[in-house]
Amino acid sequence: MTLVESPEKAPERTASRRLPAAMLALVGVLLALVLANGVVDASFFSFGQLRNTLLLAAPLALFAGAQTLCMLTGGIDLSVTMTATAVAYVVGSRAAAGDSTLTALLLGFAVALVIGLINGLAIGVFGVNPLIMTLGMAAILTGVLTAGSQSFLSGATQMPQLVLTLGRGTFLGPLPWNLLVWAVLAVLLVLLLRRTGLGRLIYAIGDNRRAARLAGVRVWQVETAVYVIAALLGAVAGILIGGRSGAVDLQLAGSFLLPSVAAAVIGGTSILGGVGGYGGTVIGALILTVLDTMLTRLSVGEAFRQFIAGVILLALAWFYVSSTRRASARRSPA
Amino acid sequence: MTQPPDLLEVREVAKSYGPVVALRSADLSAAPGGCHPLLCANGAGKSTLVKILSGVLRPDSGTIAVGGKQVRFGNPVEALRAGIAPVFQDPALVPHLSVADNFTLTGTDRAAVRPWLARLNLHVDLNERVNALPLALLRMLDLARALAHDPQLLLLDEMTAALPSDYTELVFAVMREWRERGRSVLFISHRLTEVQQICDRATVLRDGRAVDTHRTAEGGEARIVSAMLGERASRVDLPMAERRSAPAGGPARLEVEHLAAGRRLQDVSFSVGVGEVLGVVSLEGQGEDDLFLTLAGDQRMRSGSVLVDGTPVKGRHPIQAIRRGITLVPSDRQHAVLPQRSIRENLTLPLYSSLRSWGWINDRKERRGVQKAVEELDIDTRAADAAKQLSGGNQQKLTIGRWLVGGYDVMLCFDPTRGIDVGTKHQIYRLLRQQAAEGRSVLMFTSELREVPLVCDRVVVLHEGRIVAEFPAAAADEETLLHAMHNLPAREAS
Amino acid sequence: MTVTASPVPQLPPPTRPHVRAIRLLRDEAWTGALAVLLAGLLIWQSTQVFRWGAFELETLFVSTLPLVFLALAQTVVVIAGGIDLSVGAQMVLFNCVSGYLMLDAGFGMSLLYAALVIVLGMAVGVLTGWIVTISGVPDIIVTLATGFIWVGVALWIMPQPGGGAPDRFRELFTGTGTAFWPALLCIAIPVAVVWTLLRRTRTGLSIYALGSDPQAAFLAGVDARKARLSAYALAGVFTALAGLATTAYTGGGQASLGVANTATLGAVAAVVLGGVALTGGVGGLIGPVLAVWCLFLIPANLLTLGVDPAYGEVVRGVVIVLVVLGGSLLRRKWSRT
Repeated sequence: MTLVESPEKAPERTASRRLPAAMLALVGVLLALVLANGVVDASFFSFGQLRNTLLLAAPLALFAGAQTLCMLTGGIDLSVTMTATAVAYVVGSRAAAGDSTLTALLLGFAVALVIGLINGLAIGVFGVNPLIMTLGMAAILTGVLTAGSQSFLSGATQMPQLVLTLGRGTFLGPLPWNLLVWAVLAVLLVLLLRRTGLGRLIYAIGDNRRAARLAGVRVWQVETAVYVIAALLGAVAGILIGGRSGAVDLQLAGSFLLPSVAAAVIGGTSILGGVGGYGGTVIGALILTVLDTMLTRLSVGEAFRQFIAGVILLALAWFYVSSTRRASARRSPA
Repeated sequence: MTQPPDLLEVREVAKSYGPVVALRSADLSAAPGGCHPLLCANGAGKSTLVKILSGVLRPDSGTIAVGGKQVRFGNPVEALRAGIAPVFQDPALVPHLSVADNFTLTGTDRAAVRPWLARLNLHVDLNERVNALPLALLRMLDLARALAHDPQLLLLDEMTAALPSDYTELVFAVMREWRERGRSVLFISHRLTEVQQICDRATVLRDGRAVDTHRTAEGGEARIVSAMLGERASRVDLPMAERRSAPAGGPARLEVEHLAAGRRLQDVSFSVGVGEVLGVVSLEGQGEDDLFLTLAGDQRMRSGSVLVDGTPVKGRHPIQAIRRGITLVPSDRQHAVLPQRSIRENLTLPLYSSLRSWGWINDRKERRGVQKAVEELDIDTRAADAAKQLSGGNQQKLTIGRWLVGGYDVMLCFDPTRGIDVGTKHQIYRLLRQQAAEGRSVLMFTSELREVPLVCDRVVVLHEGRIVAEFPAAAADEETLLHAMHNLPAREAS
Repeated sequence: MTVTASPVPQLPPPTRPHVRAIRLLRDEAWTGALAVLLAGLLIWQSTQVFRWGAFELETLFVSTLPLVFLALAQTVVVIAGGIDLSVGAQMVLFNCVSGYLMLDAGFGMSLLYAALVIVLGMAVGVLTGWIVTISGVPDIIVTLATGFIWVGVALWIMPQPGGGAPDRFRELFTGTGTAFWPALLCIAIPVAVVWTLLRRTRTGLSIYALGSDPQAAFLAGVDARKARLSAYALAGVFTALAGLATTAYTGGGQASLGVANTATLGAVAAVVLGGVALTGGVGGLIGPVLAVWCLFLIPANLLTLGVDPAYGEVVRGVVIVLVVLGGSLLRRKWSRT
C-alpha cells in the first residue's frame, strides 16, 4: 500500500468525509428500494410483510457480521454458513434426544467455538490462507454433516420450543423475536468494533499488519478471536434459521454465503482490510433483502436477480475503490 | 576540433513527491568512453536519479539526451531501447523462474549473453532457478544481461557493494573494456577508493543537486568528501536544550554486547545511558537496519546480548522488547502508520497490544494521552480522518507520538527526519532533546550528518557490521563522520 | 572460487546429466508425489473392484473432465498472482450457451459452435481481466460479482435444464463404450499447447513473472496489463472447454448457482493441492490435473470400502487442509533459512 503525503498547508475537506456521505447514499438507496417495493406491492408495508422481510434479513445480517469481522482483518470466512448448519443440527438432535434446551444450545455453541478456534489458529498461527482454510473447513463440515445426518445427528428434525419461538415468533405485535436477538448482537458488534481495544486491533491489523506487529500487537491472537466470534455469530444465525423453518437440512444456510460477503462489500467494508464497519453491512444486508423481495414480487426471473446482484456488487465496489483513489490523487502530484 | 556529443546529458532534472523534493536539479554528463562515478551522501537523490534514468520513474522537469538526441521514457523497456541499461541493487530477475527463462523474458539474445557469461566467469547452469542462487551471482548475471543488450550507457547502482573481491575485479575489467569500445559507464558507489581506480570524471550529488564534477585525478578523496559536505554554512540557529555530557560512571540503560544479527550485523557493542541520545551513522547497508530491527524485537539475534537496566532482553516478538521499554520508530513510515485509521487510533495503538486491554476503551485516559502527544509534537489535527491524508512530517510525528502515549524507556529512531520539511525536523530535534532531559534514552540512526551535533550526545559509526569509531557530539562534524563512515583514516581538523 | 581474469572467453561447461536429473526431481517433487499418490489410489481401486479396467478409468477421466478444465483455468490465473471465483459460473454459462446452440444441430455445426464458444470464453476472460485491471477492485470481489452475472445470463438462456448436443460431438469428449482415450486427448492437447505458451513464450513467462515478483517483472520490462489479460484469456479458453465438456457429458445445459459455486471451490482446492502457490509465480499444469483425479478417487475408493460417501468428503476436506497447512509450514521454514 502506498502512503501519500499532502502539502503542509491546511488540509482540505478529506475524502473520508465522503464515506459518511456514502453511508447516507446507501440509506438513500435502501429507502428508494423500500418505496419502490411499496409501489410494486402495496402489502409490502403491512406488518406481515415487514415481519417476513426482517425475518429474512436477520440471519443474513448475522452472517454478514461474521464476514465483516474477518474482512476487516484482511480475511474471509467461507465456512460460516456450514458452521450455522452444523450448530442447528447439533441443537436439533440433542433436543430430540432428550437433552434440555440449555444443554443443547450450549453444546451447539461449543461446536462453533471449536470450529472457530481451528480456523483462527490455522490462519493466525500457521499462516494458512483464509480462503483456503475456511473452504476446507466447509468441505469437512459438509461431509461430517452428510454422514452424521444418517447416524449420530439423525432425528434432528425437532428444534426445541425456545428455538422455534425465537425463530419465528413475534412479540409486541409484528416484531419478530429473531429481530431482537439480532439487534442485541448488532449493538454488541458495533460496540466491539468501535469502543473496545480488540476492535481497534482488528482495524489496525487489517490496515497495516506490520505496523501493528511493531507496535507490539500479537496478530495471531486477534485473528483467532475474530474467527471464533465469526463462528459464534454463525451459530446464532443457524439457530434462528432452524427455528424459523422448524427443521434442519443441509441446504439450510448455504444460500446465505455469497450474499453475506456481498452485503459487507456493499456496506463499504474493504476485503483488503482496515476499513469498514458493521453499520454499513447492516444496510447492505437490508438492501439485498429488500431487493430480493422486490424482484420476487415482480416475478422477475432468477436470472435477472442473479444478474442484478452481480452488477450492484461490482458497481459499488468500484465506486468505493475509485473514491478512495480520487482522494489520494488529489493529495499528491507525484 | 569538435568534441563528440556526450553519450548522456542530463539537464536540470527534478522530481518531487508532494512537498518532498527528491531531486532538485541534477546535471550530469557522460562522455563516450567515459567511466563516470556518481557519488552522494545518503538520501541525496541518487536512487531517484537512477530510477529516472532507467525509466522506472518520470521526471517532473528537465531533459535527458542520449547520443545527442533528446529522449523520454516511461518504462524500463523504452530506456533500454534508448540505450541505457541499468543494473540495480536488487537484480531485475524474477525469482521463481530459471535464469534462462529470465533471459527469454527480457528478450536477451543467448548468443550475445554467452561471451559475457564467460568473461565474467559465471559458470552457472542457466536452468537453475533464480531464487536458488546467491545474490552476488545474481547481480553478476544481471550485469551480463545488461551487457548483452549492447547499451550505450551502462548504469551500475552500487554494483560492488556486497560483492566478493574476485567478482569486483571482473567488474572493473569489464568496465574498462566497455569504455574501450567507446561506450559509457555511470557508476554509483560509496567506495571512494574504487572510484579513484576506475573512473576519470566524478560527479557528486548533494541535496538533490549535482554540486561538483571534476576529474578524479585532481583532488582525490579529499575533494570528493568536501564536495559531499558542501559549504560549511551556518545552520539554523536553534535554542538547544542543555545537554549533559556523556554520563560518567552513570547507569547505562541499554547495553549491547557483541550483537550479531541478520545478514550484515557482525559484532557491535555499545551502551546508551539514562537521559542520553546516542547517534548511529553509517553508509547504506552496513547492518544498521539489522541492528534496529533486532533491538526492537522483530528479528532474532545470532549471538550476543541486549540488556536493559542490567537484565537481558530476549524474544522474537516486538512485544517483548516493548515490555522492557524498548520501542521502535521505523525508517519507513509505511511500516508504522495505519493509513486508513484516524490520528487517535494511530497514537493509541500500543495501549491495546496486550490481552488485558482488549476490553472497553477508557475514553478519558485515551483523550488525555492523545492530547498530550498532539501538544508535545504539535501535530496538525485539522480535518484529517485518515492518517494517509497527513503530510509526511505529521505522519512521522504520529509514529513518534505513539510512544509518547504508550510509554517507553529507550526509543529506537531510525532516520526519523528523512524526507521531512525543515520546520518539522527541528520540532523533532527539540522533542528528542526534551525526552532525554526527562530521563529517557534515545538511539537514533540518521542519514543527515548535520543533525548529529544538534541532537546527539555521542555518536558511533557503523561500517560493515561493526563499530569503527565513536565521537562525542562536540567532535562530530560532518567531515569527521564522513571519513569514519567510509572507513578512511582520521584526518586532522583543517 | 579463485578467479584470474582471462583474456580468452571460455564457455560455461555443459550441465552434467545427473545434475539435471536432480534438479528435475527437486522442481517436480510435488507433481511427482501427486503422481505416486494417484498411482496408489488407482492400484487400491483395482484391488477393490472386480475386473477393474477400462470402465473405471473411463469413469474417472470422463466425469472429472469439466473439473479438470476448471482447475486448469484457475491455475493460469493463480500463477499470474490472482484468483478467479467465477470459473464455475463461466462453465455453467458456456454449458448453457453450447447446449442451447447445439440442440438439433448436426455434427459439423456443433464443431462450429464449439469454436464460437471457445472464442466467447476468451472474450469473457479478457473482459474479466480488463475489469480487474482498470477498476482496481481486488480480483476476488470482481470475480465474485461477475460470477453472479454469468449465472444470471445462463439462467436467461436456459431457464430450465434443456438443450442438447449431437452424439458424435459428445463422443469427442466421452468416447464410446469404455474408451477413455478421447477424454485424455481432450486434456492432453490443450495442456500441451498452453504449457508451451506458458513456458516457452515471452507472454507466458510474463504471466509467471507477474505472479512471482511484480516489481522485478516491471524492472525486467514486463507489461503487467498484457500479462494479466493473457492469463485471464487463457483461463477463459479453459472454462469454455469446461462448459463444452459438461454439455458433452450431460447432453444438455443446466444453469445452477449451486453447481457453479461447488465447481469453483473444487477448482481452487485442486489448484492448491496441485502444487500451485496461491501467492503466484509457481506451479505447472500437470499438478492440478493429477490433483483433480486424486480428489475424485479418495471418496470413490472409500465408497467401495463401504464407507459412507460423506466421510469420503470429510477425508477430502481434511486432506486439503492438511496439505495447505503443511505447504505453508514448509514455505515458512524455507524462507527463514
